[in-house]
Amino acid sequence: MPDLKKLHEAVIEGDWKTAAAVTRAAIAEGVAPLTIVTGCLVPAMDEVGCRFECEEYFVPEMLLSARAMKASMEIVRPLLAAMGTEPVGRVVIGTVKGDLHDIGKNLVASMLEGGGFEVIDLGADVAPERFIEAAAAHNAGVVALSALLTVTMTSMKTTIDAFEAAGLRGKVKIMVGGAPVTQQYADAIGADGFGESAATAVALARKLVAA
Amino acid sequence: MRAALEHRDPDRIPLDFGGTAVTGIHVSCVAALRDYYGLPPGPVKVYEPYQMLGLVEDDLRAAMGLDVTGVFSRKTMFGFPAADWKEWNFRGLEVLVPGDFRICTEPNGDILIYPEGDETAAPSGRMPMGSAFFDTIVRQPEIDEEKLDPADNLEEFGPISEEDLDHLDRSVRAAGGSGYGVAATFGGTAFGDIALVTAPFLKHPKGIRDVAEWYMSTRTRRAYIHGVFEHQCEIGIRNLARIYFHIGDAVDCVFVCGTDFGTQTSAFCSVATFRELWLPYYKRVNDWVHANTAWKCFKHSCGSVERFFESFIEAGFDIVNPVQCSAAGMEPAALKRKYGSRLVFWGGGVDTQQTLPFGTPHEVREEVLRRCEIFAPGGGFVFNSIHNLQAGTPVENIVAMLDAVHQFNGVAHA
Repeated sequence: MPDLKKLHEAVIEGDWKTAAAVTRAAIAEGVAPLTIVTGCLVPAMDEVGCRFECEEYFVPEMLLSARAMKASMEIVRPLLAAMGTEPVGRVVIGTVKGDLHDIGKNLVASMLEGGGFEVIDLGADVAPERFIEAAAAHNAGVVALSALLTVTMTSMKTTIDAFEAAGLRGKVKIMVGGAPVTQQYADAIGADGFGESAATAVALARKLVAA
Repeated sequence: MRAALEHRDPDRIPLDFGGTAVTGIHVSCVAALRDYYGLPPGPVKVYEPYQMLGLVEDDLRAAMGLDVTGVFSRKTMFGFPAADWKEWNFRGLEVLVPGDFRICTEPNGDILIYPEGDETAAPSGRMPMGSAFFDTIVRQPEIDEEKLDPADNLEEFGPISEEDLDHLDRSVRAAGGSGYGVAATFGGTAFGDIALVTAPFLKHPKGIRDVAEWYMSTRTRRAYIHGVFEHQCEIGIRNLARIYFHIGDAVDCVFVCGTDFGTQTSAFCSVATFRELWLPYYKRVNDWVHANTAWKCFKHSCGSVERFFESFIEAGFDIVNPVQCSAAGMEPAALKRKYGSRLVFWGGGVDTQQTLPFGTPHEVREEVLRRCEIFAPGGGFVFNSIHNLQAGTPVENIVAMLDAVHQFNGVAHA
């Protein structure tokens, strides 16, 4: 029986090679893919989030852990899909139109994926209609909008308005985040939630899908 | 300004807009301000195309009541000289851009720009439709761990050319004769500034050039990063010595580094990492400056960086910017109380994430007056907004900000 503690440690330590190797060994020895996710990757990324929140970890460590988690998920994901396993929820995420910054968005996407969500990452500079198309196509319950710039965060409102105009606003929860974004701004533009950091975004998404 | 930099009460708070590439004004705001003050119309020069910063000419500097002028490197962030100006229609605004500013527009309206103006190279910057400045395009060659060599990340650092020295010499003479305080950006001493890591000025960057890969490398390839910083430091100090030989003490401060260590709520690294990986190199540069010149050393870092201030002081920095009071742990009165006698706050004047772009002129005025009351006593304060004035900022709010500082100073303007 492979030692899943090693996978847990590899994710926390940001060792993607070990994470991939232990995952392969676990699958080969018959460990259920869902066990790897819920029993190992989710708690490991929760721990990474906690270390980030208490400033034991910073952006480099978060990136390394996310890379290790992804190395494991890339092996596990096709198996979960083949088994028809439903994720905790589906999130469409992207940096809004006009904004090319994606480090923060990528960290949130990784934390969500590590939290058991299926994440559809549309990248940066994403137009409102692309968010709408993706949310509809993937039947996503949550749409996550990111912006780093004051001049582009207004695209968040444009995107929310576009969901309204398309008659889809009631079908998705929209969460927003990024350096210039505040709870006050999120409330003003009609978002359902504001995530102050990559770690708190997971708790927020869980709350939104449960609502 | 000198009094403010030396922590003596100046006759008034000095103001900077346009003195550095992090205290500047977007070209659209420069055009709006020229119109507001009734100055001769005409296309504004974009002296830094990366952030689309407009040149603050002497007539606008006087109208705004500013006290600082800037000296800049000969070349822009995209590797071509800020010279040989030509007209360009920037989404409806006529501006002047350098002669080697070469772009192409994609079908969706995105604008791509070429390094060194070379259209045969891969573009190194993109301005998306809906944005007002460029972001760099990551061009990361495949990384072969066995062959990684710090020299690959040092292509942009070399002995300063005679042409560059001549440019700095002429720029400093012109600035020195203006009567304004002089902030100089010579380049070469920014250790791991993420905006420069991607090397938008190089045609074919080598080494580690991807943003995430660089951040991870500060943890996993620390010896490599030390190797880069070590050589960069040696080259940088040699260049500063040559620059000083030409210009002497005719500048008041030198922009040493713009590496961001703060995020909105946290930091990019621990204080321990900062002290191990950055502090030794900053200290060598700043110690050289203090031992050989009368220049003050300027450090820019956005975000929540109070935790680094003691280390900044130990490293020899005299000035911090932009003093992002909206970030965690950056409460203005506490910063002034704890560090006001040891660090000059060049910035912190008004919030550019909320108040200045989205507030009313009254709200801007109130915030500016409160910040002046906090930061002004005893000197150690150069008024600037928190980072550049961004595109879309209402000109009425910019004027309300300036009028509030002038009112605080008891000086009538424009």
